[in-house]
Amino acid sequence: MSYGCGGHDHALSRRQMLGLLAGAAGGLLAPNVAQALRSKQRQVLMIWLDGGMSQLESWDPKPGTDHGGPFRAIPSSVPGVHVSELLPFSAKRVHQLAIVRSMQTKDNSHSIGVGRIQRGDPVNRGVEYPYMGSAIARLLDKGDSGLPPYVVIKPGSSGFLASDAGFLGGRYGALALGDGRPPIHLQGGISTELEEARQSLRRAADARYRQGRGDADVDAWEGCYDSALKLMRRKELFDESTVTRSERERYGSHPLGRHLLQARRLLEAGVLFVKVSSYHWDTHADNFAMHQELMPQIDRPFAALIDDLDQRGMLENVVVLLMSEFGRTPKINQRWGRDHWPEAWSLALAGAGIKRGVVVGKTTPDGSAVAENPYDIGHVFHTVFRAVGIKPEETFYKHNGQALAIARDDMGPIAEVLA
Amino acid sequence: MSAVALCLALLMQGEAPRASDAEFLRRVTLDLGGTIPSSDDARAFLADPDPAKREKLIDRLLASPGYARRMEQAVTVMFLERRSGGKIPDQQWSEYLRKAFETNEPWDRIVRAMIASDGKADDTRPAMKLLADGAGGDPNRMTRDISRLFLGRDLLCAQCHDHPNVKDYKQAEYMGLFAFLNRSKLQDDPKTKKAVLVEGAAAEKIEFASVFSPAKKHQTAPKLPGNDEVDVPAPRPRELLAERLVRHPQFARNSANRFWFLFMGRGVVHPLDLDHRGNPPSDPALLDDLTAGFVESGFDVRRLVRKIVSGPAYGRGGRAAPSKPLSAEQMAWSVLTATGSLERVAKAPSGKFSSGKYLSGKSNEPPRALNDVLQLFVDVFGNAPGEPEVGFQPSMTHALFLMNDRLILDWLRPAEGGLVSRLSGRSGDAVAEELYLSVLTRMPDADERKEVAAALGRSGTSREAALGELAWALIASTEFRMNH
Repeated sequence: MSYGCGGHDHALSRRQMLGLLAGAAGGLLAPNVAQALRSKQRQVLMIWLDGGMSQLESWDPKPGTDHGGPFRAIPSSVPGVHVSELLPFSAKRVHQLAIVRSMQTKDNSHSIGVGRIQRGDPVNRGVEYPYMGSAIARLLDKGDSGLPPYVVIKPGSSGFLASDAGFLGGRYGALALGDGRPPIHLQGGISTELEEARQSLRRAADARYRQGRGDADVDAWEGCYDSALKLMRRKELFDESTVTRSERERYGSHPLGRHLLQARRLLEAGVLFVKVSSYHWDTHADNFAMHQELMPQIDRPFAALIDDLDQRGMLENVVVLLMSEFGRTPKINQRWGRDHWPEAWSLALAGAGIKRGVVVGKTTPDGSAVAENPYDIGHVFHTVFRAVGIKPEETFYKHNGQALAIARDDMGPIAEVLA
Repeated sequence: MSAVALCLALLMQGEAPRASDAEFLRRVTLDLGGTIPSSDDARAFLADPDPAKREKLIDRLLASPGYARRMEQAVTVMFLERRSGGKIPDQQWSEYLRKAFETNEPWDRIVRAMIASDGKADDTRPAMKLLADGAGGDPNRMTRDISRLFLGRDLLCAQCHDHPNVKDYKQAEYMGLFAFLNRSKLQDDPKTKKAVLVEGAAAEKIEFASVFSPAKKHQTAPKLPGNDEVDVPAPRPRELLAERLVRHPQFARNSANRFWFLFMGRGVVHPLDLDHRGNPPSDPALLDDLTAGFVESGFDVRRLVRKIVSGPAYGRGGRAAPSKPLSAEQMAWSVLTATGSLERVAKAPSGKFSSGKYLSGKSNEPPRALNDVLQLFVDVFGNAPGEPEVGFQPSMTHALFLMNDRLILDWLRPAEGGLVSRLSGRSGDAVAEELYLSVLTRMPDADERKEVAAALGRSGTSREAALGELAWALIASTEFRMNH
């Protein structure tokens, strides 16, 4: 018996079916969320500093304390709020941001932490949960942007990151642009006219097959060609020659700067969720020299990005999340490094549905623990879901007949940052 | 009528249509041979008046080298889940398995070697790959893999506590299995310098506690569900596990279910690794019958496969047909066969092809040899390592590959023995017939013949280019993408 036979998909429209994928995996109990949001599509930009940015050298400086390190704190654009002097550009945009200084998570190893944090540290239900990007793609994608819903820009190789999608299934994985480059198969070798001719023959063949076999498999496979053809028509998104000199200057010519600029362009074009990953933030040795080198690579382009989104009115629609898998130990080790510290760390949010110019939570004077309002990654997932218009307490994944919470059901949003 | 209602109605009335000869030929050749048949084979089968031709076809396929290759690939996808750790080179594992299926080695013996092999004896060394590379030699991962792959019970949750939703899955079961494996570890053999999966004696019972009640300690010796505990000390517990596992009723049942899935696209118990009282088989008598037959035959895989593909469920047609996507390997072989490129590629010498570099745009060197082509298709169409391939999970990258990869476009250009050259030598209806038989293993209907004629009559395109487009459209279609 085929999957198309006996599935619950048949009651749904073709549009909804496109989002469902043949097979039982990854159904949704509240599939009309996307429709409710049709009028104002929200988007997400996640900036992932892999390895762990130091909270003490960024959002939560503790100058003059035992563990504070050599850098000063400077005033920000919000009276009374200070950030590290390594963030001179971002300091002037704090009035646009919500800074959470009381992150308290569990995993202190990268191998477990990265996956678990990016999946929202779900309660173990015997399934692999999706990364935030796949989750948002599943929950919000209407399939009408003409672009893949979830794109990852990262150093290294391009490809398709199916495993990000966990139990939702490969379809909700990420299109990975290695160093911002488009997938190699985006380059067509034939003329537009020939392309149209062979695609219309293919569609005719599919239409005939549909009559004998039902819709599910045909919809799923046709949807892939639709996405592919749409992306092929947007090659200009990957053309770096259109980047202006001033843009290059403001974002910088290093990978993180170029990738953040690429992210802005993809968001402008309508990609639902963009993640920019940067590696090498794991400063076990020489933490201070390394942060002196690393922080400008995020500070200036992050500020430029906030400015650009603001100027274009995109801060109304785009949720920005800047984070790592954990922070770094306040205690400075013998190699002048800081180690992994999930106990008390910081992240920044901005944009749609997020309050501006707020600082949430507080760490103890030496920075070693959260003093007020501890938040876990589950709270962050709730917050982002809320900010894009999803109600986690009413929305569930359906998997093998089991209703699965989309975010930790023992947690809620960080209410202080929600607008 | 919706497909569900139609399907149910047909089942109720017992009137599911039988697959046509063409449908059956394509389906069974893909399932037993790993590729679509050539147009010559299709023509011969369709013309054969012998009423027993389906049975004869099954026998022929089961005896062909394609069968062993197909089973090796299917086991690599289903059990190894394409995981590759480098302790055993992929090639050695493939050859080992292929030989096992060629000689029809009983399934219990194949699995016994996978569990017991420590990699020291040359003849069973490749079998170590499942635990050494698949599970990385880690006792917890081995426990989980063995329970889900061979007992059909995903005990992941039960590592730390009884399963919250599945009453049958107890922490004690996990720990009983774990106690067979926690003395195993990977190390380098001092003499050969190669990795071996050695084990020490299970000296005593292991102690465990649920994370929900950490003060309450429990003990277990090595034990499979429903069996007695093994006496400790036990000198070679993993070897003991291998012997006991393949005699366990759940092993036979899960194996039968998995082979059924392979051909039907869905397990009698589904998901395959969620066998418990709350998730009963869709047809308990069927599963019992398959299981009993498999055990009685001494785990004769060929016999089980023959039984499944000769049965009425497998032979259904239309909407009631078993339907599953072509695996990456089936896609590669079928595109090669359809385009008439197989012979050419099979003869090409292996170059310095790197699929990773090719797909990330770092190398422009396309694959030439068969193994390299296969690797490329696996990297494009296969799931990520460790992700089971169940159901149809197409992605945009699959479509982009078929649309724009140079290799595919090359195969659709005129070449000796190639499809386009073969077609351009024909005229009239013979073109459409050869095209449809070559790509979709069936004759075209009247509309399809007209469509071919119209496409060839279009101005501004050379005949060969138009033939290439027609062939591409069929290869890119859902009808080609699925085994139905």
